[in-house]
Amino acid sequence: MRWQIPLLIVLLCGVVVAVQYFVPLEELEFIYENALDWIIITGVFAMMLGLWSLFRVSISKVQNKAPGWGYNLITLAGLFGMLFLGYRVESLAEGSLFMKLFRYVYIPIQATMFSLLAFYVASAAYRAFRARTVVSTILLATALIIMLRMIPLGFLSNWNQVLANWILTVPNMAAKRAIAMGVGLGMIATALKIVLGIERAYMGRD
Amino acid sequence: MKEKLVFGNKVLLIFFLLLLFLFLGINITFAQEAGEAKASVDSLAQAPAPPTNVVARDAPNDNGHALVVTWTLSPDDGAGKNNVVSYEILRSDNPDTGFVVKGVVALGISQYEDKGAKEKGDKNYLPSHKDFYYRVRARADGIFSESVVSAPAYAYGQWFHFGKSPIFIGSVIFTFFVVLFINMAKKGKELYVRPIAGIDAVDEAIGRATEMGRPILYIVGLGSAADLGTIASLTILNRVAKKVAEYQTPILVPCADPIVMTVAQESVKAGYYDAGRPDAYKEDSVWYITSMQFAYVSAVNGLMLRERTATNIYMGVFYAESLLLAETGNVAGSIQISGTDQVAQIPFFVAATDYTLIGEELYAASAYLGKEPLLLGAIKAQDWGKILIMISLVLGVLAASFHFDFFVKLFQVKM
Amino acid sequence: MSSEVIGIWIGAILTLGIFSFLYKDNPFYKFSEALFVGISAGYWFVVTFWQYFVPKFWDNLSLAYSELLTKGRVDYHWIYLVGGFFGVLMLLRLVPKIGWLSRWSLAFIVGTTAGLQFTRYLESNGILQVKGTIMPLDLTYPKPFIAHTGFIITDILGTIWCNLLNILYTYSHWVLVVGTFCGLIYFFFSKEHKGVFGGAARVGVWFLMITFGALFGYTVMSRMSLLIGRMDYLFGIWLGLY
Repeated sequence: MRWQIPLLIVLLCGVVVAVQYFVPLEELEFIYENALDWIIITGVFAMMLGLWSLFRVSISKVQNKAPGWGYNLITLAGLFGMLFLGYRVESLAEGSLFMKLFRYVYIPIQATMFSLLAFYVASAAYRAFRARTVVSTILLATALIIMLRMIPLGFLSNWNQVLANWILTVPNMAAKRAIAMGVGLGMIATALKIVLGIERAYMGRD
Repeated sequence: MKEKLVFGNKVLLIFFLLLLFLFLGINITFAQEAGEAKASVDSLAQAPAPPTNVVARDAPNDNGHALVVTWTLSPDDGAGKNNVVSYEILRSDNPDTGFVVKGVVALGISQYEDKGAKEKGDKNYLPSHKDFYYRVRARADGIFSESVVSAPAYAYGQWFHFGKSPIFIGSVIFTFFVVLFINMAKKGKELYVRPIAGIDAVDEAIGRATEMGRPILYIVGLGSAADLGTIASLTILNRVAKKVAEYQTPILVPCADPIVMTVAQESVKAGYYDAGRPDAYKEDSVWYITSMQFAYVSAVNGLMLRERTATNIYMGVFYAESLLLAETGNVAGSIQISGTDQVAQIPFFVAATDYTLIGEELYAASAYLGKEPLLLGAIKAQDWGKILIMISLVLGVLAASFHFDFFVKLFQVKM
Repeated sequence: MSSEVIGIWIGAILTLGIFSFLYKDNPFYKFSEALFVGISAGYWFVVTFWQYFVPKFWDNLSLAYSELLTKGRVDYHWIYLVGGFFGVLMLLRLVPKIGWLSRWSLAFIVGTTAGLQFTRYLESNGILQVKGTIMPLDLTYPKPFIAHTGFIITDILGTIWCNLLNILYTYSHWVLVVGTFCGLIYFFFSKEHKGVFGGAARVGVWFLMITFGALFGYTVMSRMSLLIGRMDYLFGIWLGLY
């Protein structure tokens, strides 16, 4: 029973949603729209599990005085501070302390993390160049042509742009299509394996 | 007694009434003259001939709240008086009264889809199984002529969306392939799959971590449980957890989605169970950090450097953070294996990690690692799907080159 | 001192903390990271709760309840209880003896997703990709072009370059079809990449590398602009140098 019911649920849900795609009846549309809402609601309940996990891991490090336990205290302070400040829907309005913390703490750090990519892109390009294989050379040469099309270089810009446009619309499109088709086949095979109950690793064991 | 001026004085009253009638009479006369003039001006702007043959029918392939109206164009549309500027489509549930304009189309168009809402409270509600009547007006400048009323028609939902037939046929064919090859695998038929460097490296990477006595970091990606790339990653995690349990190497699986965390916990636990070491599973090895992209990445970066992970495996759905993770792993000196179906992130993984599974290889990896016949059967089905696609391409290109367009129409999807 | 000024100072200090990671892991970065994680987790939960959970679950059930009380009829909004049911099952993971019930919720989510993605990806990544790749191939001979710039060297270079581009554009359809074909051969798992098959797979890899290079080049500029944005914040807004 412990396994039959979940497998039945997977089969039923998978088949109903797949059939709904082909059968435009209002009743199936109703089930489909509500199923998506139920997933969102379940996700919010699951968020409580997530926060409990974060809390438990942080608290255990603090209790055991693991290396860097002080930082876990800061994490917990940030977490509970935001939960406390966000206790009512008005907290989401601009100007509230909740949104000020978001604006002055979260946003700058997020933007800075994003900007680190500029440094890492350069180091990744250097590493690829050092590899000196045919494939890495093709990768870098194409990257260079595409990058240069944004830079004014006189008559060379025209030459480069025409080539760059051809690269983007022809070989780039060809490979993207091949990847998309392969990914599509992989996805639908995975979906079928799940619905038919062949793939069950996500359900664990007893 | 003082006389009341108006009603008390007959002479004044009669005089007042005469003035009033004279005033009204003059205005009515002027209005009539203006109306007549307006009419005569309008009669100079000639009405176009009305559209004919108005037919309403149910809109195909829908949920039963739309009707399609077609008509024959007015003879004065592009010919004759050539004064038609637009057509107005009017609907009523009564053949005689209550017609309301529901849509306007430009000249030259002889079809209109009247799409209604399905909710009763909506002002555009079009109930199914209820008769409606249509009229179509041909409009010129300031004047119009109407067709006769159409026969009644009602909307109803269809049992099958014929516009999506190519997808249905594709689904049936692919499902057939999967079932066929899985049955062949069940019967013990040997199914060969070529080696993939990134997948072969997983064993070596786990061995390396065991020798160094350092943990393995497995990142399931930033997708949700609704992404099949994440599910594929979780199935790979199960196989990796089994190997990790056999080697007794610690594994760390920080998650960015709480539902993914619960599934990951089940996957890892199952892996330990399959290796015969259920007691070695530590629940805290799979935990939730945060759902926000760069906060998650900053925590994982710190984890890589502090725990000095020997092997980093990135499998699943990644976005801009892919390069941040991979480069930090390089700084930490970890061996890195990556796999994603996000085309935009593959270049960064290719440049920054030691092995990369590209696109479909991510979905095949779980079968490769577990070597389970049923899953290898699914890979065969994928390959046959590719063969079918290649045959379709060859035939299609030949047909298009010789101007036989019918082949392209086989793949046309009408939503 | 206004809250905005304090906020800019806090943002700038945390920005420098994150940048310090480029040198090495250090207490400054660890502090920024810990605060970042805590605040983001709390923010995400609060926003999700007020923007999704309350309207979709609480408000709908309240509506159904008020319909029952005032009009005595069972409204269809009660169906949202199903979402609540699966949510509660998920929470039962915390109770070891009945934690296995959470599999029902996982089964519902994974099954629904699988059914949904099956058809949609077959359409977008299968049928429509094949339709887009079917195109006529012809053997039109490209018209030769001779450059006249007034200088012999640029004439020669221009002629070679323009004729090369002319050939590339004339045979674009061939390149597209062959590239897609070879890319599919690369992803073929049932045959080893040897001989003619291996050669075709190698051509497929080259096409893949061109795509990856194009994506790489495309995103480099946007990454640089992010860094410029941060420098602008530090030097322009925080220090007020310009």
